[in-house]
Amino acid sequence: MAEAVALTVSAALHLAKDALRARPLHIVGEVTGFKPHTTYRAYYFQLKDEDSVMEVTLWKNVFAEMGVELKDGMIIEVSGHFDVYPAKGSMSFIPRHYKVAGEGDLRAQVAALANKLRDEGLMDATRKKELPWLPERIAVITSPNGAAIHDVLRTLARRYPLADVLFFGTLVEGHGAASGIVRALQTADRYGPDVILLVRGGGSFEDLLPFSDEEVARAIVACGAPVVSGVGHEPDYSIADMVADVRASTPTAAAETVVPARDELLGILAGHLQQLIIPFDQYNLRVDALQQRLEQALPGKLEADVVRIESMRMRLEQAIPTRLERDEMTLANLRLRFITAGARLVTEPQIALTHRGAQLEALSPLKVLSRGYAAVFDSKTHRVIDSIQKVKAHDQVTVQVADGSIFTLVERTEEAEMATRDNSDKNQKE
Amino acid sequence: MAEQTFAEGIAELEAIVHSLESGNLELEDSLTSYERGVTLIKELQTKLETAQQKVTTLLGDVDPAPVEGEEELMV
Repeated sequence: MAEAVALTVSAALHLAKDALRARPLHIVGEVTGFKPHTTYRAYYFQLKDEDSVMEVTLWKNVFAEMGVELKDGMIIEVSGHFDVYPAKGSMSFIPRHYKVAGEGDLRAQVAALANKLRDEGLMDATRKKELPWLPERIAVITSPNGAAIHDVLRTLARRYPLADVLFFGTLVEGHGAASGIVRALQTADRYGPDVILLVRGGGSFEDLLPFSDEEVARAIVACGAPVVSGVGHEPDYSIADMVADVRASTPTAAAETVVPARDELLGILAGHLQQLIIPFDQYNLRVDALQQRLEQALPGKLEADVVRIESMRMRLEQAIPTRLERDEMTLANLRLRFITAGARLVTEPQIALTHRGAQLEALSPLKVLSRGYAAVFDSKTHRVIDSIQKVKAHDQVTVQVADGSIFTLVERTEEAEMATRDNSDKNQKE
Repeated sequence: MAEQTFAEGIAELEAIVHSLESGNLELEDSLTSYERGVTLIKELQTKLETAQQKVTTLLGDVDPAPVEGEEELMV
């Protein structure tokens, strides 16, 4: 065999390079030596199996396109070719595509992590925090792009615009998402919000993987504020959902969970207004009736009471809303509850005023006399004669009528038999 | 004094309702409480109907702009 012409090293490596580049390969192996933070334009790591190891040069644009985070220990499938770097005579594999090998394994990993965290008590109902009814500061963590943030902001503005919203943008899928979410949770919690929303729209199992990351789960648990998760659509719960204080199914549902609806609050206010009125509702009627009686009873020294009652009545009339406003109120159970309270409120003043009204009537028989009745007094003692036992024939009596007195003598007395006593009294006086 | 928040207003309103409910107030005090309650309700309704949500962005996109590697690439 004739001796071949010797090649230069460069020429030899170029031959190898051309040969390798012409041969696309599909390789499965375990990631090792992966450093997520690099300033290079590529990630340099190795793929290995039990016996061998090979260098990999993963361009950042390919990595970004794939959107699948890499970690040591992951089994991935890479498609591409080997290449040779002549300056060092080294060989490296250049993936054009890659994917996580065996999604089943990943699901198993997530399930194993879920079990581990459950065993630690991170999912215990007793650990979960209650949501405030009326939050004043709401932290929202999601991607600054995409529909989720708009769904959340729109829902919060529609339902409860009184709360301040603090927005913390982060990547929510692919490389860097898990660490970004952890950082956003920690940062958001330092602002002392009343509640934290952690949301994203729907996606594939791989898309949602950052929400099943162990560090994310622990960051959720570490938050001082309650965390509500809203990760869309995937039928599987993410681990974030399991450890969150409240799980909602979508970003919109998460926003609805943390604030009451404006209409609900307006209804509550209307209910309170009714609660305020009901005790006075009956009272107002009683005061009206008592005022009438007092006026008719010629109050004199009690004029001050009438003035006081009149002023209260005016305050009530001014304060109590119109019938139209009151028709808007609909909480029937509250009405029942407060009718009871109203009755209590009315009873005591009512008793006092009734008593006073009775006194007035006793003091002032003029009203009765004006209707044609008369009162008969003993002319000497000025005592009221209300029985035939108090007079005898020829006694002097005074008959008082509305406009004056009649002085007369008793002719005779006669005991009532079948007739009522009222009638017999009248007969006697006539 | 800082302006009362909505939650504080609701809490005061509930206290007023409760005291009226108890029936322990003098009539004059009941009327005063009642008038305060109606004022509060009107204020809270106005707040709900006119509030504009305030949104503050405190953390943007966290993807840091990568610094271009100066070292020679292997390929």
